[in-house]
Amino acid sequence: MSHLKCLKILRGHWPLIGLVGLVGLLASCTSISPVAPWEKGYLAKPEMTFEVDVLDQNFTEHTYFSKEGSFGGAGVGGGGCGCN
Amino acid sequence: MAVLALEEAVVAAIKPTSIITEQAPLDQSSVNLGLMGAAMALQLLVSPHAAMADSAPERGLMAFKYLDYLDSQPGSDRIRVKAPSLLVMKPLSSEWSMSGTYTTDTISGASPAYHTQALRNMHDQRHAVELSTTHYDALGTQTYGGSFSKELDYLSKGIFYAFTKSSEDKNTTWNAGISTNSDQINPTNHIVANETKQSLDLIMGVTQVMGIFDITQLQVGRYQGQGYFSDPYKAFDLRPRNRNHTTLMGKWNHHFESNQSTLKMSYRYYDDSWGIESHTVNVEWVKPLQNQWTVMPYLRVYTQSAASFFVNADSSGLPFPPNPPLDATYYTEDQRMSAYGAHTYGFKVTKLIGQDTTLDVKLEQYQQRAGWRLGGSGSPGLDPFTAKTIQFGISSAF
Repeated sequence: MSHLKCLKILRGHWPLIGLVGLVGLLASCTSISPVAPWEKGYLAKPEMTFEVDVLDQNFTEHTYFSKEGSFGGAGVGGGGCGCN
Repeated sequence: MAVLALEEAVVAAIKPTSIITEQAPLDQSSVNLGLMGAAMALQLLVSPHAAMADSAPERGLMAFKYLDYLDSQPGSDRIRVKAPSLLVMKPLSSEWSMSGTYTTDTISGASPAYHTQALRNMHDQRHAVELSTTHYDALGTQTYGGSFSKELDYLSKGIFYAFTKSSEDKNTTWNAGISTNSDQINPTNHIVANETKQSLDLIMGVTQVMGIFDITQLQVGRYQGQGYFSDPYKAFDLRPRNRNHTTLMGKWNHHFESNQSTLKMSYRYYDDSWGIESHTVNVEWVKPLQNQWTVMPYLRVYTQSAASFFVNADSSGLPFPPNPPLDATYYTEDQRMSAYGAHTYGFKVTKLIGQDTTLDVKLEQYQQRAGWRLGGSGSPGLDPFTAKTIQFGISSAF
């Protein structure tokens, strides 16, 4: 089956695919074994956190908000603007 | 719209509470990053998901960043934005901290009146302030904040609240947040006057440590807005006075022990009441180098469907915009409401100087093309859209 045909079949089912992926991630969360505090050295690295630069994040979100049709999903707060 | 990231909840879940063992040694870039530690603490403060939930950051942080942005379409530059931004975070006690940001955008250039046609000159300046305070306890944080943003024709005021709560072992952190904004719109062309818009944003999620090399996060968001959503500067633009959307966001960070690098991946699904559905994938690779340098190349792939009331371009009537269908209740010819795909390529370089100061530079290119839409066809007759960004930053702990 060509990639094009695959895409056509998947067309219209993106929400379902996304949901299945998220549910799969959640389900995997329930089956993991706990990590002890002394095993969290790698996890404590700055780059392993989900955000490391607030001003950069603000610029990025603001740019996409003003240039694309969708927005949000990363957090709450922040002011609105007339750019969209 | 500046958005406060919620994702830092993860730090509460991963902060080492005692010793670091041979299994997971902290290398020099982790141990010596006094500034990075402060930077994380700052984010905790600014973010509704304040991390390090057991106490406030020990040191304050000042950060400055400058953005230079230019977008264009074939043959014409469009909008240029120059934006300095300042952030200050200061711990008030072991349990409280405060944070504030100030940004001013100077916007100039030209914007299409419809589709990618009839570029019209424009100029504006935005001033945005955001203040927040965070309370830390043994297993969580609570953040209270407000925002204010003013332009020539737009005023926005908002408040927000967010909390995090971690499990005893800090492997799981739950979070939730709520914000509300009230906006006033007075376009300079006086096509409408004293219009308003109100919105409510809700988000909730969970951050889960999956193993010593992996951490994940899921967020569900809901936005409800009502009021004036039309663009007063576009031809034939009348949009519904209600807009709701739902977002699902998944993130996954993985650390490679072999080369000490980290892969950061995320996916967002978006669906709104105007018929726009979008998918966004972000991939970023973080590689620390010698002498406190770090490089971060990244890629973003985005695709969206058109709003149900988007009117396609029709070159046969140029230079006039196509008329909306006679029976149309709502209509727009705004390129941002069309069906397209977009790619972002960029990289960021940071350099830690001493223990307390970090410099960073970021270069990025963004492109929108109808032909890049995934899972369907793009809107016809629109020029590609390109944006180039350069960003400089410095931050210092105090």
